[in-house]
This record gives sequence, structure tokens and C-alpha cells, in this order.
Amino acid sequence: MSKTPLLEIEDLCAKVADKEIIKGFNLTINEGEIHALMGPNGAGKSTLSYVLSGKQGYEVTSGKVLFKGKNLLKMSTEERAREGLFLIMQYPVEIPGVPVTTFLKHSVNAVRKHQNLPELDTMDFIKMVREEGKKLGISNDMLKRPINVGFSGGEKKRLETLQLSILKPTFAILDEADSGLDIDALKVVADGVNAEHNEHNAMLVITHYQRLLNYIVPDYVHVFADGHIVQSGGKELALELEKTGYAQFVKEK
Amino acid sequence: MSGLLQEIKLFGDNIPWLEALREKGKEAFMTQGLPTAKTEAWKYTRPRDLQTDDFVMYENEDTEECNHCSCEEEEKKDACHHREIKNIPIEGYEINFYNGKLQHNHSELPKGVFIQSLPEAIIYNDEIKHYLGKIVDINNYPFAALNTAYIEEGVFIHIDKGIKLDKPIILINHTHSCHENLYYNIRNVIVAEKDSSLEFLEVYKYSGIEKSRYFANIVNEIYIGRNAKIKHYKLQEEAFKAVHIALSQVKVKEGGEYKSFCMQKGANLARNETKVQLTEEKAKAEVNAAYLMNGWATIDTTTDIEHLSPETCSNQLVKGIVGGDAKGVFQGKIHIAPDAVKTEGHQLHKALLLSDRAEIDCKPELEIYADDVKCSHGAASGELDAEQLFYMRSRGIDEDTAKQILIEAYLEDLFSQIDNEQIREWLRVSK
Ligand SMILES: Nc1ncnc2c1ncn2[C@@H]1O[C@H](COP(=O)(O)OP(=O)(O)OP(=O)(O)O)[C@@H](O)[C@H]1O
Ligand SMILES: [Mg+2]
Repeated sequence: MSKTPLLEIEDLCAKVADKEIIKGFNLTINEGEIHALMGPNGAGKSTLSYVLSGKQGYEVTSGKVLFKGKNLLKMSTEERAREGLFLIMQYPVEIPGVPVTTFLKHSVNAVRKHQNLPELDTMDFIKMVREEGKKLGISNDMLKRPINVGFSGGEKKRLETLQLSILKPTFAILDEADSGLDIDALKVVADGVNAEHNEHNAMLVITHYQRLLNYIVPDYVHVFADGHIVQSGGKELALELEKTGYAQFVKEK
Repeated sequence: MSGLLQEIKLFGDNIPWLEALREKGKEAFMTQGLPTAKTEAWKYTRPRDLQTDDFVMYENEDTEECNHCSCEEEEKKDACHHREIKNIPIEGYEINFYNGKLQHNHSELPKGVFIQSLPEAIIYNDEIKHYLGKIVDINNYPFAALNTAYIEEGVFIHIDKGIKLDKPIILINHTHSCHENLYYNIRNVIVAEKDSSLEFLEVYKYSGIEKSRYFANIVNEIYIGRNAKIKHYKLQEEAFKAVHIALSQVKVKEGGEYKSFCMQKGANLARNETKVQLTEEKAKAEVNAAYLMNGWATIDTTTDIEHLSPETCSNQLVKGIVGGDAKGVFQGKIHIAPDAVKTEGHQLHKALLLSDRAEIDCKPELEIYADDVKCSHGAASGELDAEQLFYMRSRGIDEDTAKQILIEAYLEDLFSQIDNEQIREWLRVSK
């Protein structure tokens, strides 16, 4: 049986601040697949994730991106999210004055409304968030605090994972979901992510370390350098990179 | 001279002291005239809209019902039939004004508290003489002078010593668009005797067609006795062509406390001015405000806190959200007299600009004549944070909602300082 493509990126080129960062990027991700994206600092991995989320200031100069067969690049950031695209950010922002629960409620109901589901009432919502939070070691007290304000690096990533588990996206990009996590937290976050994975959704896992990939096991590993994929392979490629580094892929400057 | 001085019949024109007071007001207004571009106190807010002669004052019997208005167009007639203001979900003692005229009186009041209409007080209550016109400096406030020339509408609120009022007094000023270019003055006098405490909320709303143009000129004289406490809240949500000018003049005695929060969202030209005199030791003032605006409006928040005795303390937090072509003005003055040692005065103004054409003018002024004082002032303006907006949008929240959430968060430290929960929640949703 042939697989159904979820995300198809073709010859994508994009600029930030007038600088060409993404240069002819090609990748197709099918339902049920986990892809890992590894590559040197500054290669453009986070830039790619922002381009896919439709962040302002990230200008697509050519190429196309289809998400569930639809033109992703024409959608606003919020439409992409409602259609099922989710990004765990490398550096989640702090939003003083906005409690986590208030924000999550807006978010969940915006997505539900788009899917023609009834809005959750406050009691049901709080109950659900607390349960999911508990699995990720997020206390009720943290849920009352303003988003990410004063959260430790690990707590921020847990909160990102919580959002993943309640929004249930069809396609998630994890941009260094492992950075700043201690060994136990890494496992908690990985378990949280794995619990959401099924044959109908897919993931792009951006990481620098093989360690995360022991928990979230990829079907494919891609090496990303200078704005595009320079090599692809199975999960063993990650192990190999651990030994060799990226020297072979990086152009002499 | 401006068309704001008009010949109308006022109540009590046979009461000599009242007539003398009005006469003084009239003279003071004629001497000063309307503020011009050269008037320092009105440098940023130019009431040029008032130069026209078409504002009309109505005598008492004129405003009863809608049949006086020139409602020929169907649209207006319809609007006229929606004259009620939706109930305000706050428990309290309500006083209603309709087109600047006091309507019926409040519900029954606890012992030790009375509310009288100003004419009632003038006729039956000699005490009013000690307060009415006693702290307003009509020679430096032209609109207060004008207001004094037309003293008639308003209330006298008095709370006896030691009495703590259980619920807020709510003054609802409802203007309806029946009368073209309506112009009115309201004067309230509020007295809290020693050890008493009182909360009051002023609400300014309109009904009928949005474009109605009117001019409301409000003066409050507020007296706070020793260790007494007044919490004063206000929501200004006038029609978008209206002019709203208000002055609260406050005098606080030893250990007394004045705490205020004014939220302005309406009118084409609005100024809310608060002058507090901390006349005795350990008197305190907290003067907070928020303004939220769009379109072409100018909203002005002006404060003047005078520390006249030792160990007095004041705090001001003012925040604005300005979009469209609107202009926000904040002028904040802290004056510390030579004797007012060990005094603290702090002030912070912050504004968010939502468009390139929006404007903020901010003028802090510190006049410190005493040693051993702690004073600070700060101002900051910025835009909504693009990273925060992106974060929320990337989780499915649409741009407008995301902005609203950020604006609410921006104002949160103001709302969280409101002690009365019903008032706090109501103002929060009214924002
Ligand atoms: N707003 C911006 N203005 C200017 N340059 C930018 C901007 N955003 C990204 N860049 C540049 O684009 C390049 C790619 O950055 P990006 O963050 O995508 O790298 P990355 O692959 O995620 O790196 P890391 O592994 O360190 O997270 C870098 O050289 C970065 O400095
Ligand atoms: Mg990165």
C-alpha cells in the first residue's frame, strides 16, 4: 500500500533579513513517519521551522509546500496551526501577564472550533489540562503562572510538550525539544511525544544529539547543511554523525 | 467670548452665597477663557472643538422625554427608543443622571450615610457651604470655573465618622443623543469623615446614535478626613464625538487615603484631571489610570499630587493603548513642599502604540523642595511584542484575539490593584 504524503516540500528557498538561508530544500514526509533533521549550528534548521509556521519576516522566494495536499504557504500562521501543524520552539517566548491556562483554553478552543467541535467548558478543560500536565510533571501551580515566565529550560520544554499533547497536531516540528532537559526530563518529554504518535500523524525532530533519538526513534535521518539536505539515511546515520561530526558536509569558508 | 456661557435659569438664584459663588466662577472663566495653544497646562490637548458656539445647555424641564429632540430621521428615532443603559452587574447604591440631570434617588442607605441632590443640600443642609467650591482653584482651571458658574446638577455624598460603607455608590451618567450638541455641567461633593471608608464608581455612557456630539463638564470635590479612605473608580465610555472634561480635586487629611482608578475609552476629546493635596502627615494617594483608544480621539490623563506634610506617600501608574490616529496624553506632576520630609512619590507611565500614526505625549514633572524624600518617575512606550504574537498564533489563536490577550496582560497590574471584585471584573470586561 502506498503511503499518504502529509507534508511535501519542493525546492523551497527562503530569506530572512535579506539573507538567503533556505536554499533548495526538498523533503516529503508521509503519515506515520518520524524524520530527524540534524546539522551544524546556523545551518537554517530553526529558520525552516519558522518558514513552515508562517512567521513574519521569513520570506519564501521560491518553491512550494503542500500540507495534506493544500498549499501551506498561503495560510496564515493561525490557519496552519488549526489545520494541525505544531511547532515546539527552540526558544519558547515568555508572556508576562498571561496565565498558561487562559492561553491554552483560547488555543484549544480555536483549534476545536476549526474542526467543528464544541468548545470545552472551563471545568472539563481544567480537568483535562491537569491530567495531561501530571503525566509531564507539570504542577497545577505552574499552570496558573504566566506563560514561560521564570520557567526553567526544562519546564519550558515540558510546557511545549503539554501543548502538543492537548492540541494533537497531525504534523509536529520539534526544534531541539531536548535542549536544556536533564536525563529524566528527556525521557518524560520523549514519552509524552511518543504517546501522541500514531499512523496518521508525523513528526520532524530537529536535534543535535543522538540521545533523543534513542527515545523518539526516527524512520529517516537527514543531514541539513547550508540551507538544504545533504545526506539522508536510516537511524544509523545519527550514530555515524555522532562519531564523524559535520566536517565532511560543511564547505570550507 | 465662547458660547459656553449661556443665559439659562438656574435653581436658587435667590440664594446670595450660591449666586456669589457662581458669579466668581463666571468671572474666573471670562478672565481665563478657553485654553489655547499657549496655555501650558493644555499644551498637548487642545480643546479647539469647543470654540464653536453650537453647544446648548438645557433647562431642567427640557430633558424629560424624547419629544423635544429633533428626531426626524428614522434612524435617529429608532435610536431614541433604546435609551436604557444595560444594568451594571455591580451591587451598590445607584444614582442616575440622564443627559446631565439627576434622575431618581438611590436605594435606602445605611445609617450615617446620606446622599442629597445638590439643590436639596443647598436648601436644607448648611454643611454644604463648608465644602462646595472650597478646594477647587477656579483661577487655574478654566473648566472648573465654568462648572462653578453653573452649579446646579450633582450630588452631595456624606459619610459620618467611623462608618464603613458596605457597598459602592455608583454614579451612572447616561447621555442620550436626542439633544443635538447638548452641554452640561455636573458638580459632586463627597465628604468622608474621620475613620470612615467609602467606595464610589462613576460611569459615563451614552445611548442612541454613536455620532452624537455633546460636552460633559464634571467637577468632583472630595474631602477625606483623618484615617478615612475613599476608593474612586471611573469608566469613561462617551460617544465618539463627545467631549468629556473632568476634574477631581481631592484633599486628604492625616493618615487618610485616596485610591483611584480611571479607565477612559470614549469621547473625541477627553481629559481626566486629578489634583490631590496631601495636607497632613501620613496621608496617602494612589492615582491609577488606563486609556484605550482608536480613531481620531485625544485622551488626556493629567495628575497633580501635592505633598504638603511629612511622611506623605503617593503612587501613580498610568497605562495607555493607542491605535489608529489617536493621541494619548499624560501629564503627571509630583510637588513636594519644603516641610514634606520623609515623603515618597512615585510615578510610572507606559503606553502601547498599535499603529504608526498613533501618538503619545508624556510630560512628567517633579518639583521637590524638601530633603530626605524618595521620588521616582518613569515612562516607556512600545509596541505589541511580535514574538509573543507569533507564539500565540502558532497555537491557533487568531491575531485579533492574540492582541486582546496581550493588551489585557499589559493592563493586568492595574486591574489586580482593584480591591472590589465586582468592579474589577466589570472593568476588565469593559476594557
Ligand atoms: N532574523 C534574522 N536576522 C538575521 N539573520 C538571521 C535571522 N534569523 C536567522 N538568521 C541567521 O540564519 C542562519 C540560520 O539560523 P537558524 O537559527 O535557522 O540556525 P539553526 O540551524 O537552527 O542553528 P542552531 O543549531 O544553532 O539552532 C544563522 O546564520 C542566523 O544568524
Ligand atoms: Mg535552531
